Amino acid sequence: MERENRFWRIVLLALPLAVFAVLVVWPLFSSFYYSFTNWNGFDSRYEFVGFRNFAKIYTDKLFLNAAINTAIWMVAAILLPTLLGLGLALLIDSRIPGGTIFKSVFYLPICLSAVVVGQIWVWIYQQDWGLLNTVIWTVTGERPAIAWLAKPETALGSVIVAWSWQQTGLSMVIYLAGLVSIQEELLEVCEIEGASAWQRIRLVIIPLLTPATIVVIALSVINSLKGFDILFIMTGGGPFHSSDTLAMHMYNESFRKYLMGYGSAISVVLFLIALTIIRIYFRQLRKLDEIHG
Amino acid sequence: MADVRLDGVAKAFGSVQVINDLNLAVDDGELLVFVGPSGCGKSTMLRMISGLEDVTRGRIMIGGRDVTHVAPSRRRVAMVFQSYALFPHMSVADNIGFGLKLARTPPAEIRRRVAEVARTLQIDPLLDRKPRQLSGGQRQRVAIGRSIIRNPEVFLFDEPLSNLDAALRIRMRLEIARLHNRLGVTMIYVTHDQTEAMTLADRIAVVNGGSIEQLGSPMELYDRPANLFVARFIGAPSMNVIPGTVTVEGGVPAIACGETRIRLSAGPVPPGTSDATLGVRPEHLSAVNKGEGDFAGRVEIVEDLGAESLVYLQTGLMADSLTMRVTAGSGLSAGDAIGVRLDPARLHLFDSRGLAIR
Repeated sequence: MERENRFWRIVLLALPLAVFAVLVVWPLFSSFYYSFTNWNGFDSRYEFVGFRNFAKIYTDKLFLNAAINTAIWMVAAILLPTLLGLGLALLIDSRIPGGTIFKSVFYLPICLSAVVVGQIWVWIYQQDWGLLNTVIWTVTGERPAIAWLAKPETALGSVIVAWSWQQTGLSMVIYLAGLVSIQEELLEVCEIEGASAWQRIRLVIIPLLTPATIVVIALSVINSLKGFDILFIMTGGGPFHSSDTLAMHMYNESFRKYLMGYGSAISVVLFLIALTIIRIYFRQLRKLDEIHG
Repeated sequence: MADVRLDGVAKAFGSVQVINDLNLAVDDGELLVFVGPSGCGKSTMLRMISGLEDVTRGRIMIGGRDVTHVAPSRRRVAMVFQSYALFPHMSVADNIGFGLKLARTPPAEIRRRVAEVARTLQIDPLLDRKPRQLSGGQRQRVAIGRSIIRNPEVFLFDEPLSNLDAALRIRMRLEIARLHNRLGVTMIYVTHDQTEAMTLADRIAVVNGGSIEQLGSPMELYDRPANLFVARFIGAPSMNVIPGTVTVEGGVPAIACGETRIRLSAGPVPPGTSDATLGVRPEHLSAVNKGEGDFAGRVEIVEDLGAESLVYLQTGLMADSLTMRVTAGSGLSAGDAIGVRLDPARLHLFDSRGLAIR
């Protein structure tokens, strides 16, 4: 019986493991492998170049620019959806009229693909007839000539806003689930002890939402590291590399300049950054488990 | 310190009436216990006093002050919950000092008072720990500590010992009694455990279906239950209740239970009483030789509890078995045929509506 169980366990696990191996493990190791070569992505002939691709990263100004943009992108793409999601969740949880409708409305963007979201916001930011400039025109009475996605000063910020618009719904839903799991009696203690609304949020609700916050931040980090499609649709990394992130830079080097070896080296660095963040995340989870059980 | 008065208090959730026209006065310094089965409304009563639940109708007075529409934090009450309701992210010291911190008490003062309370409750070595690192009893002490640090006028306990194991429950029960003696403050305590109610209370309010069935001292409720519900709810094991018909033979009232006639000396039976229920506590039954006593019985099960035994008897009086409490070493065993004698002075009689006939 036990032997039969083991057989079926292996059989049932084999298919997902095979898919995982082909789609995740194999490309991962291939990237590592190609990062030590000068492969152009097409040619079957390539040479091993040792750590030359990694050394190039240190001197590549575009890499530095992309790393800075990635840092800005990550910080903003984590903070904005997290804070907005928390705020919206608290508002909806306070049983405002129409809370259920708002919940659906705010969650809707996460159901759209990044390509669709990107295109919607390209239209919103459109210089001549976009919604944003039209609203500014209506409010101020002056026709603005801001090309939000075409100016280096505003391009990255504009994409961050679009990204946050999409991601906030997800954070909100996670926070709402977190709020539901807070023991009602803890909030009643606040009421009896005389906590103001702000004290209740600051001293009790936000700390008790730490598990939800960790999930939100982890998802934001992972999603923002992967954040490529929306940037690709909205700015393509431009203008003048002002919205180039590491993922974008990797794509440009690999598929536009056909430097697959160097692109792979960038992807390895990106992988190591993600790995570090995930390790920190799991360490925090362990600490959290000790507190909340 | 303060007394608590409820005048015509009622509570409805939508169309469901859960508390009906409640009138109650809890004296200053008294420990009153609400006891009743699950869902009877006892916790709702407590929550209305705390202010966590609005009243639908009526008035609540604490220390002569109308607090019906006053926020919970301004009623000068403290509440201890069944789940302890400790903040898992805060240390024991932070949990105890939570109310003081909210009131912006200087940190040095908070530390001093937390240390004082912790010493009183013997949890001073635990101040830096998180609730998760404490046992159930320690957590309950911390919850009590948080409630006493603000010197409230009224303590409200909502089934505080329900989550503890039997031994710890007895110990904590004693500690709550000590705390009440020491602080001399008004306490209202909710429990479904009648033993807890009997041992702790100055007075007990037996709650059923949103109303108080009887209010009185523990022994008053035990000895003179006002109705069948109280009679059965108070006392462990619960009172034996035997349905029967009241008859008067030669001027002496008796109750006929099946083939058996039991003479009543509990007092005059109101005229017209026919269907009635006889109540007798397990300790007011005694085993005699077969053929003697008021009726015959056969021992079904004997539960030895150490100092005493509970004997379950099959009789012709009722379908259920009858419980008899005897001292240990009675020599009774399953299958024994015996006679059973009732203590005629300790019988209870209830009319067809379940009300006591006295």
